[in-house]
Amino acid sequence: MIKIVNIMSKELLLASRSGYETFMPIVYLILIMTFFNVAISYVSNDIIVELVPLMIWVSCLLICILNLETVFKDDFDDGSLELFIIHSGVIEFEILAKIFAHWVLSNLPVVIIAPLIALGLGVTANTSLILFLSLLVGTPSMSLIGAIAAALTVSLRKNKILISLMVLPLYLPILIFATSAVSNSYFNLNYETELLMLVILLLIFILIAPLACNKALRISLD
Amino acid sequence: MTPKAIELKNISLQRNESIIFENISLDINKSYIANIFGRNGCGKTSLLKIIVGLTEATSGSVTINHVNANDIAYIGHKFGIKDNLTVCENLKYSNVTDNVEMETRIEDALNMYEMTHYKNILVKQLSHGQQKKVSLMKTLMNNYSIWVIDEPYSALDKKTIDIFNKTMYEFLSTDGTVIITNHSEINDNYNKVVNYKL
Repeated sequence: MIKIVNIMSKELLLASRSGYETFMPIVYLILIMTFFNVAISYVSNDIIVELVPLMIWVSCLLICILNLETVFKDDFDDGSLELFIIHSGVIEFEILAKIFAHWVLSNLPVVIIAPLIALGLGVTANTSLILFLSLLVGTPSMSLIGAIAAALTVSLRKNKILISLMVLPLYLPILIFATSAVSNSYFNLNYETELLMLVILLLIFILIAPLACNKALRISLD
Repeated sequence: MTPKAIELKNISLQRNESIIFENISLDINKSYIANIFGRNGCGKTSLLKIIVGLTEATSGSVTINHVNANDIAYIGHKFGIKDNLTVCENLKYSNVTDNVEMETRIEDALNMYEMTHYKNILVKQLSHGQQKKVSLMKTLMNNYSIWVIDEPYSALDKKTIDIFNKTMYEFLSTDGTVIITNHSEINDNYNKVVNYKL
């Protein structure tokens, strides 16, 4: 347990030292939504309000991909990853802690800000809440999937494009269920099934990703 | 008879058709230093990685007696320290067990390697040699049973080499085992070094 707390606090400390980079996902989201609104300003307000949550979801998905390579890359470059592998007891828990720390730093700010942006752009409170919930259970799945791709490509010098190509098809089910939940809430339809599906996907990836990452990291370090 | 700490049996390593080394068998006794030496590219680093479990040998077996992974200190070519953390923070996070004496150990290590003045300096502001010192200090953080260090003497000045040797012999006196790589044989006055040519 102390090792998991250590991993979390170390990652948070490193993030606090990295300066503005921590805020880049939020900046990207605000920029994308601003340009999106400018680009479709001629469209009627009803359509904009319907599209905003979906656009936010697509933006979050792309923002998630931007920093996926950093899950293990810095540790690989400075040699910490070797020690991490050697000294881990039940390594799957520690990998999970590392992915969670990455999600907290890279995606959680976006998850919190996104519904506020939606509210600001005229989306109803209920739809914004569903947007928040779908991001809350959807983005961790994306981090888990991304971590597998990051682990597989960690030893490659320029792995960003490869990671994107690997994860994008796997993100599609999450995007479909999440946007479907948000749309359904906008039209006052049942959205619980979609949210439940997102939870199930998250649970599946919580089980699979640490095992796959462990194997992938060992292959990459070999 | 000195108990064996590590036993390697018929270890071979092959990479893309080329054989790096074949049928390496060696026993490393407790309280001894195993110096694995050889020319560049002969597989010294790979052998160390096989011993610590980072690389899988093509064939053969490694037996580490009465030690679990947390008892092995490993320092490879990369030092495993974070540029954006201070010396003190790096030492603190290298602690792999719930060690209540950690603060004392950090202070001792800083004093030993004469790095007390640098304890609150970010590692990225240190020289290469000082960064290596930080990585060596990490071996003093936990009650390790085995130190596995790849080329410990590179990038170090004479004084730091003496400090490292002193800590290494102190470690041997506590039943510790050290495995290092080097480009040449090492001769010591205490008959504690066993040289293995790869």
